[in-house]
Amino acid sequence: MMKKRNKNIINLFYVPALILFSVFVIYPFIEGIRISFTNWNGYSQNYTYVGVKNYIQLFQDKNVRTALINTLIYGVGSTFLQNVIGLLYAVFLDSKFRGRMLVRTIIYLPVMIAPLVMGYIMYFLVQYDNGAINDILAVFGRQPVDWMNNGSRAVIIMTLINSLQFVGISMVIYMAGLQGIPGVYYEAAAIDGVSGFQAFRSITLPLLTPAITSAVVINLIGGLKLFDIIMALTMGGPGYSSHSLSTLITNQYFRAQNAGYSAAMGIGTFLLIMFISNVTMRYFDKKEVYS
Amino acid sequence: MKKLLSVLLSAALIGGLCAGCSKAPKEEGGDSGIEVSGEESEKSKTTLTFVQHMSGVITDELQAVLDEFEAETGIAVEMSSPGSDIEEVMKTRMASNTLPDLWTTHGWSVARYGEYLRPMNDQDFVEHIVPSIKDLITGPDGNIYVLPIDADICGISYNAEVLEDADVEPESILTWEDFEAACDKIKAIGKTPLFFDGKDPLAFGQFFDFVAPTLYTNNDDINRREEFLDGSFDWKDWREVCEILERWTKKGYLNTDALTADYATACQALGKGDAAFMLRNANVIVEAWTTSPDARLGILPIPGKDSDNPRCIIGGERLAVGIWKDSPHQEEALQLIEYLAQPEVCARLATAAGMPAGLDNAESDTGKLAPYYERVMSDDILTIPYFDREYLPSGMWDDLCVTGANIVAGNSGAIDETIEQMRQSYETKKAQQ
Repeated sequence: MMKKRNKNIINLFYVPALILFSVFVIYPFIEGIRISFTNWNGYSQNYTYVGVKNYIQLFQDKNVRTALINTLIYGVGSTFLQNVIGLLYAVFLDSKFRGRMLVRTIIYLPVMIAPLVMGYIMYFLVQYDNGAINDILAVFGRQPVDWMNNGSRAVIIMTLINSLQFVGISMVIYMAGLQGIPGVYYEAAAIDGVSGFQAFRSITLPLLTPAITSAVVINLIGGLKLFDIIMALTMGGPGYSSHSLSTLITNQYFRAQNAGYSAAMGIGTFLLIMFISNVTMRYFDKKEVYS
Repeated sequence: MKKLLSVLLSAALIGGLCAGCSKAPKEEGGDSGIEVSGEESEKSKTTLTFVQHMSGVITDELQAVLDEFEAETGIAVEMSSPGSDIEEVMKTRMASNTLPDLWTTHGWSVARYGEYLRPMNDQDFVEHIVPSIKDLITGPDGNIYVLPIDADICGISYNAEVLEDADVEPESILTWEDFEAACDKIKAIGKTPLFFDGKDPLAFGQFFDFVAPTLYTNNDDINRREEFLDGSFDWKDWREVCEILERWTKKGYLNTDALTADYATACQALGKGDAAFMLRNANVIVEAWTTSPDARLGILPIPGKDSDNPRCIIGGERLAVGIWKDSPHQEEALQLIEYLAQPEVCARLATAAGMPAGLDNAESDTGKLAPYYERVMSDDILTIPYFDREYLPSGMWDDLCVTGANIVAGNSGAIDETIEQMRQSYETKKAQQ
């Protein structure tokens, strides 16, 4: 009886968090669903319900298709690069050498910079006129390149920038994972004559699966929601060619004044991210090995 | 003891949350607990909220004027300057119907903000609004909703030295054909004829605002004005304006980085004489002078479609202030409007903005641009409204910007896609009204 009352009191502590979650997540989400069935322009006091018209339009809109493909490139591309490079960094920094802490700090430092600021810094690197990369090309007698004037190239450049900025997060996760692997496995493998690469493939990687799951899901969600760097570098252009779903949602809500359509797009994006994250987590759950 | 502590802690957390979410206390007397007596004390507690869209020198001048207003009247004004994000800020506030007491309307006092603004027809300054913009800021119901501190005069900004080097006489550019001939000459001397800062695609929206009226609405006898307004315009005819942009792109009149250059780069290019023309108002000139103070820059009227059509300039409101019709501080807000409408204050602000004053009893010092303003505001030059604000439903600006960028990007079928997007968007936006 006493235990039950204590439990009830402890449950009270959830209340503020639940209220905050309801006010800032659940209520806006339900409102978003409602708005997605209207033709609201985003500011007027009047609007009409249009049924599932916005959702049908989602499947017919060429710009949504472009943004969806870009979003997958931003998401999957960033995840791949961040995890491969992050893991390499972690393995490298797991060995003891002078200046290890400094290298770790330098790799992690970009994570501390706001992505929008990072985007503006990178603009000075890639801009056509007086851009650092073009200045270097000029030193070698090469013609300047307008790096961001082509949507596909802009998407790849922004994926690279996002990956390099946040690679520090993967590195830290993998370093924590590596430190959790008992040294006895490697010692036993060494006695059996296992090479370094074989040990990495058969011991390190399987035992890192929980870290891989965390790093992949965090990077995937971050990549699929990419926003600030795009706004700073191309604003989704030229045309709609480098928009992600997140930037297209903002564009449709504020600039194009299609709040209803934008809300439908938002719901679609939510479902997409939820689906991809869940599939990824389930996949890695099956692969998990416990030491 | 532990139990009591837990309950108290929970209560404190919930209480704190509720306090945070509760309504802000009203500013009227009595609530604050401070003893209030007389009208002056009542006013001294009032803080007006003011959102404005300008940036740069004018913001500092505006703040100085508001500080002086506070010192004189005891009414504080909290100014926020979201800059180019004002659209997002104001749309969000309109959606929740929690608008600031006053805000600048950045060209939309009638079409977008009219239903939220207090009509100003009863104010003394109305009879002093300069004729070139009076009609443009008057709603169909005859209401004027803003105090226009300056008047937007938007023509083609140009670098006179580049034109001289290319042997182009600015006053000889009367039609788009003349303009293209001038561009050919400029290109021949290795300069960029027309600079677009397309990183923000609004540069392409400006193209349509400059060129579309000359094709469709400027001619008093043959025009498509009614068709745009009633929705009967055949969007296939939009091809004409798109083809001009495509032709200019193919002929190489545009800068190589037309799709990615930013505003600062554009202003520098104009100031340094790397480019001859920009389809922008005099803001670019003021900005260009910050890096190239000796550059000879001027404003040119927009050419006509052909010799039968007059040249024009785009006019309208720019730094124009309106009052929220449901503001709890109507009286104090009106006091601020009266203060801003004083000739010396209005002139001071218009000077800082680098534009002619919006009231005829105030004289702005536009410095080196004064003769150009005088020229483009003469009788033989037609003053027209911004095309998108007058003839397209609110929200289509983005379509102009993005479709323009697609055409310049050289995407195959861009013009057909533009026509389709304009048609669809027009119908969607009309249905929202």
